[in-house]
Amino acid sequence: MNNFSVLFQKEWRENLRNFKILWIPLVFLLFGITEPLTNYYLPQILNAVGNMPEGTVFPFPEFTPEQIVMATVSQYQFIGMLVITLGFAGIISRERKNGNATFLYVRPISYASYVYSKFSMMCILVIGSVILGLLANLYYTNVLFGPVDAGAFVGFLGTYIVWLLFVVSVVLFSSAAFSTAIASVVSLALVLFFQFIDALLGAYWTISPWKIPMYAGYVLSGSVDKTPFTWSLIITLLLVVLLIFGAVYFAKRNISKTKI
Amino acid sequence: MDLESIPWMLILPFIIIQLILMLVAIIDLTRVSNTNGPKWLWALIIVLGNLIGPIIYFIVGRRNE
Repeated sequence: MNNFSVLFQKEWRENLRNFKILWIPLVFLLFGITEPLTNYYLPQILNAVGNMPEGTVFPFPEFTPEQIVMATVSQYQFIGMLVITLGFAGIISRERKNGNATFLYVRPISYASYVYSKFSMMCILVIGSVILGLLANLYYTNVLFGPVDAGAFVGFLGTYIVWLLFVVSVVLFSSAAFSTAIASVVSLALVLFFQFIDALLGAYWTISPWKIPMYAGYVLSGSVDKTPFTWSLIITLLLVVLLIFGAVYFAKRNISKTKI
Repeated sequence: MDLESIPWMLILPFIIIQLILMLVAIIDLTRVSNTNGPKWLWALIIVLGNLIGPIIYFIVGRRNE
């Protein structure tokens, strides 16, 4: 376990120095705040910038607080996931390329603690930023649109965190298995493209990791179907464990690819 | 629309966070030895592309070596 704490400190310092620890939370905070603000002030914004003819009346839809939170999540699902996959695609493969891994691999460290240190650092950053952003979003939604049920919100957050765990492990696995460029393509495909396919053809099945964000929305509005929801959670968590073991295996196998 | 009617208590955090993000990107740009592409171009992108600019810089512009 001592191995782990040393490696974790190294990760922490690295992310401190490349400012990731600062800018990723800020990005999620910004998108969390923007969504309720723009939705609330849409009529004024249109009045100010779009030169409407006199007397135009738009029937603006009345948003419920839950809809605003879900709109924020759909922003996170696109831009947030893009930031996570592209920002972390090199987390292991870059170390192989710039020779950093050589310094690590000549020491008697266990690959498991090497991968776990990366995984826990990513989890802290990603899940921490999303929680921060969603709490800011909840505050704004509360002020502008009305209260969200606290219990439903906690359930929604827990469900969404399972999805984030899945994303983190996918990125970690592809970074351990491939080079940075291929890793970013693979993780983008697995996170964004599969989600798109699932939205398109997903009516035929109910259990899949890519449906977790949707189920999170159902939890928030309090109309979730328990059986497919629980099975999706179980399968996703199993996949997370498998992907992490795969990452350890590939980190070990790809030693020969390190540049010296 | 006059300045009084703008709800500054709600808008201000948004502006402050955006400025912090821009500042962090600029500080990083001055500290990093080389970027993908010319540095002055990235400075322009960070300052002018108000929300997306710093994000694009951190993902694409920064070379982690």
